[in-house]
Amino acid sequence: MSASGADVVVIGGGANGLVAAARLARRGRRVLVLEAAPDAGGQGRVIAFAPGFHAAPLAIDPGWLPPRVARDAGLPDLAVTEVSTPHSVATGSGGFLTLPREPERAAEAIAAYAKGDAAKWGAFTSRLRRLAGFLEELYARPAPDVDASLRELPGLLALGRRFRALGRADMFELLRTLPLSVWELADDWFESAALKAAVAAGGVVDLQQGPRSGGTGFVLLHHLVGAPAGSIRGRVPWRSGPDAFTEAAVSAARRAGAAIRFDAPVARILVRDDAVTGVALRSGEEIPAPAVLSTADPARTILEWIDPVWLDPEDIRKVQNVRHRGCTAFVLYALDGLPSFPGLAPDALAGTVSLTPDLRTMERAADAAKYGGIADRPHVELSVPSLLWPGLAPQGRHVLVARVHYVPYAATQALDGRVDAAIDAVSPGFASRVLHRVVWTPRDLEERFGLRGGAATQGELALDQILFMRPVAGWGRHATPIGGLFLGGAGTHPGPGILGGAGWLAAERIP
Amino acid sequence: MSDPRWDAIVIGGGHNGLVTAAYLARAGRKTLVLERRPLVGGAAVTEEVFPGFKFSVFSYVVSLLRPEIIRDLDLPRHGLQILPLESTVTPLDNGDYLASWADPDETREELRRHSPRDADASAIFGHLMHHMAMAVKPILGMIPPDPTSLSPRELAGLLKLGRHFHGLGPERFHALHKLMTMSSADYLDEWFEFDPLKATRSASGIIGTFLGPRSPGSAYVLLHHYMGEIDGAFRAWGFQKGGTGGISEAIASAARALGATVRTDAAVERVLVTNGRATGVALATGEEIASRLVVSGLDPRLTFTRLVDPRSLPDDLVDGVRRYKFRGSSGKVNLALSGLPSFTCLPGNGPHLRGAISISPTLAYLERAYDDAKYGEFSRHPYMDVVIPSMIDPGMAPPGRHVMSIFVQYAPHDLNGGWNDAKREAFGDAVVETLARYAPNLKSLILHRQVLTPDDIERITGLSEGNIFQGELALQQLFFLRPVPRWATYRTPIEGYWQCGAGTHPGGGIMGASGRLAAAAILGAAG
Repeated sequence: MSASGADVVVIGGGANGLVAAARLARRGRRVLVLEAAPDAGGQGRVIAFAPGFHAAPLAIDPGWLPPRVARDAGLPDLAVTEVSTPHSVATGSGGFLTLPREPERAAEAIAAYAKGDAAKWGAFTSRLRRLAGFLEELYARPAPDVDASLRELPGLLALGRRFRALGRADMFELLRTLPLSVWELADDWFESAALKAAVAAGGVVDLQQGPRSGGTGFVLLHHLVGAPAGSIRGRVPWRSGPDAFTEAAVSAARRAGAAIRFDAPVARILVRDDAVTGVALRSGEEIPAPAVLSTADPARTILEWIDPVWLDPEDIRKVQNVRHRGCTAFVLYALDGLPSFPGLAPDALAGTVSLTPDLRTMERAADAAKYGGIADRPHVELSVPSLLWPGLAPQGRHVLVARVHYVPYAATQALDGRVDAAIDAVSPGFASRVLHRVVWTPRDLEERFGLRGGAATQGELALDQILFMRPVAGWGRHATPIGGLFLGGAGTHPGPGILGGAGWLAAERIP
Repeated sequence: MSDPRWDAIVIGGGHNGLVTAAYLARAGRKTLVLERRPLVGGAAVTEEVFPGFKFSVFSYVVSLLRPEIIRDLDLPRHGLQILPLESTVTPLDNGDYLASWADPDETREELRRHSPRDADASAIFGHLMHHMAMAVKPILGMIPPDPTSLSPRELAGLLKLGRHFHGLGPERFHALHKLMTMSSADYLDEWFEFDPLKATRSASGIIGTFLGPRSPGSAYVLLHHYMGEIDGAFRAWGFQKGGTGGISEAIASAARALGATVRTDAAVERVLVTNGRATGVALATGEEIASRLVVSGLDPRLTFTRLVDPRSLPDDLVDGVRRYKFRGSSGKVNLALSGLPSFTCLPGNGPHLRGAISISPTLAYLERAYDDAKYGEFSRHPYMDVVIPSMIDPGMAPPGRHVMSIFVQYAPHDLNGGWNDAKREAFGDAVVETLARYAPNLKSLILHRQVLTPDDIERITGLSEGNIFQGELALQQLFFLRPVPRWATYRTPIEGYWQCGAGTHPGGGIMGASGRLAAAAILGAAG
C-alpha cells in the first residue's frame, strides 16, 4: 500500500472486516484492513491460553456463513466436521440427555425421559428450521425500514413472498415466536424439564435476561440461522479447525488485492466538514482515506474514535443508549486427559453440554445478574474442542471451554470457584485433571477483543436492537451521519453469528 | 325453530358486553344481556362490602374509556361522572417523597428537586408519549387485519396499516417500535436518571401483567396505560362517582334506553349450536333462550372451551387457547378505615391523600417483587397502588371514616401449594405490613379488611386465573394475535357466535374498545 492511503480503510480483521475487504477489493477498490491484534479472526481467533493449549472460545459455535457472502468474497467451499456435535443437558438426577442433530436419533434419546415429547421433537425442530430459514432470507439483504425507497420495493416484495411461502400456520408462528420467551415456547411443546432447559439454552446466548424474558424466542431462532435441520444449539463446526473460515477469508481478501496490517490499533477516525478523511493509528501514523468501514463495535467507533463536534447530540445519545450488557464469561481449562462425566458419552463433549437441568435454575442464575451479582449456580455450558481438533492441545491432552452465563460486566465477585464446583459436581475428580485454568470475564473480553461492555454481540440481541434498529434507529443500512463512515460489524444488521453478513452488506453501501 | 325473539344475546354483563349490547341495540337489534351475578359490571362493580363502606371491589380507577363510546352512548346523561385523581406520591425509603401534581409546573419543580436533568427530560418525554399514543390510537380503533390472508379486504386493511406506519415517519415509527418491544425499565433508562421516578413510571408497565419492569414487553403495557392520560376522555386517571360500578350502570342504562334488555342472576351454561350455527343459549337453570346471534363477553378460555364443546372447534384454535397466557398476577386489598392514614413522608391530611400513593421506591424493589412471584410466592414487599376514594367521594364511607383501595402486585394465580384462607390472610398481612412501613398508623385504623387473590377474582368474576385483562397484554397476544391467530376479528368458527371481551383486540382496562369493535364487526358482517 502506498503512502497515499487507500480508497477504503476497513477497521477490524474479523469475519466482517475480511469479507468486506474481499468484496470491495474485488470491485477494484484499494482496501487496507487495520487489525489491532497480531493476527486475524477478531473475536473468533485462536488463542494460546497456556503452553501448548489453544482455544477459540468465542467461536465454539462457528456461526453461519451465508452462501452469497461466501460466493461474493471468493471463499472456497468450507467443509464442516463429520464428527457428531450434539447438545446435551444435565437432567438433574445425575444423568445427561444428549440430543444428536438428527431428529430421529434425538427422539430416541428423549423417549427415555418423556414419550410424548419424543413424538413432538421432529415437528418442533422442523418448525424451528422453517422459521430460522425465513430469518436467513431477512439477513441476506439490507434491513427493511419504514422509509424504504421505491428502489427497495422489489426486495421487500421478494421478502413478502418468502414470508407467505411459510404458509399460514408458520407465518403466525413466526410472528408469535419472535416476542415470546423460550420458557413459554418450551412449555407449549414439552413436559420434560431437562428437554425444556436444553431448548431454552439457545435462547439466552449472550443475553443478560433469563429464559422467562420476552424476545428469547427470537434469540433462539437467530442462533439457528444456517444450522442444519434438527439442531437446537449452534452450527456445525468446520472440519479443518476453528480458524478455517478466518484463514480462507484472509487469503480471499489478499487474493483480491486487499492489504492487511496487524498490530495497527486505531486511535481516531479523522473527520473534516462532516466527512471522513482517514484514520489515525495509536502509533500516531495517519492514513488518508475517503471512506472508512468500521467493523468494530458501533458504540466504540462513534463514541471513542470520532470527535463529538461532528456529531449531533441526539445521535450521541442514541449510540450511548445501545445496550451491551456483556454477561458471558469463559473459563478455559488445560486438562491432562479427557475428563469423565458419568452418564455422558465421552464424544458428547465435542458438542455442547449444558449443566443447567431446568428452567428455574437458569432463570435464577439470570436473576442474580439483574442486580449485578453472580448466582451460586451460574448457567454453564461445556465443550471440548480438542475432540474435534486434537491439534489444539498436546498429544493426549485436552482443552475444555466452560461458557458461563450470567456474569455481569460490573460484577465484582470471583467466578472460577463456582464454575469448578459446577463441573466437579458432574465430573468427580475433574479438579485433579486441571493443568491450567484461565478465566475471562466480560472485562477481559473487552480488553482482549475490544468488545465494549464485554459483549460479543456488539449490542444485545433484542427486538428493539435488530434490523432497522441496529445499531440505532435509522442506521440499519450501515451508513452514518458522517460522510464516508460506514458501520459493518456484528453491532449492525444482521448481527452476531453471521460470518461476514454485516461486512458484506456494508461493503455494498460504499460507492 | 320458530323465529327467535332475540337478534342477539350477549353473555356477560361486564363493561365490554354492555358496550356491545348498546351498539347492537342502537342499530336496531333486539338484544339481551345475560349476567350471572346479581349486578352488572363484571370486574367493574361497586359493592357495599362492609355496612356503610362501599368499594370499587376490583377495577378502581378509569382513564381508558374510549371518548367515542361516551359520546355515542351519551354516558354522562346515564350517570357517568368522573372525579379526577390528579396526583401520585411515591414515598421513598429515605423518608422523602416523589410527587406528581395536577399542575404541570408544580410537578416539574418537584422533579427538579430530585433531578434537574429528569425535570427537563420529562417535558420531551411527555411530548413523545403523546405522539406515540396518537400513533397507536388508529390501531386501537381498528378490527385487526389478517396478515396472512390475500383477500382484498384483508390486504386493504394491511395497506391501511402500512400507510399509517409510513405516515408516522422514521423517527416516530422507530420510537413506537421501541415501545412495542422493550422493557419499561430499559425504555425509561434512556430518558431518566432518578430511580424512584423510573420505578413509579415503570409500574404502569407491569399492571395486570406477569412481567417485571425489566421484562421486554412491559413498555407496551406502559403505553397502553398512557393512552388514557393522553387520549382518554378525562386526560387523567379518575374515579367514577359512587364507585366503578357506576360506569357499568351508566352503560347498562344507555343500552336499556336504546332498547336492550339486561337480565341479571342469569348464568349461561352453554351456547346452543345446531349444524355449526349458534342458535341461542341454555342457562344453568335449564332455561333455553333462542337468538339469531350469540356474543360472548367472557374470556377466550371460557368462550371456546366452556360455553361450547371444544371438540367441535378446529384444533389450531383450541391449541391456541390452551397456549394463551392468563397468569393472573394481581391482588386487591380493600380496607375500611376509622380515619386517615398518615404517611411519614407527608404527615397528616393533605392533597396527596386525594391522589394515588405508589409503593414503588426503586426499580430493584419492583423487580424483586416480581422475582418472588416468578417462583410461585406472593411478593413479600409488593408493588402497591393505593387510593382513598372516600377523600374525593365522601359517600363511599360513613362520615369521618374512609375506604382504602390497594391494588397489589404480585400475587401469582399459581401460588406454590395453591391459595387457601391462611395464605390469603398472609398475603393481606404482607400488604398491610409493607404499607405500614410508610404509614405507621395504618394498622390501628383498620376496621375491616377484604383480601382478594387472583383465585378470588376468578371465583367471583369468572376471569380465568384472575387475569384482569382477560389475558396478558403481551406482544404475542396483541392485535391480530389476540386472542389467537386467525380468530382476532371477533368471529369464531361457529357461525353466529362472536367474541367481545377484553380477550380480543385491543383488550384490557375499562376501555370498551373491544366491545365497540365487536359490535362493528357483527354489524359489518350483517351488511
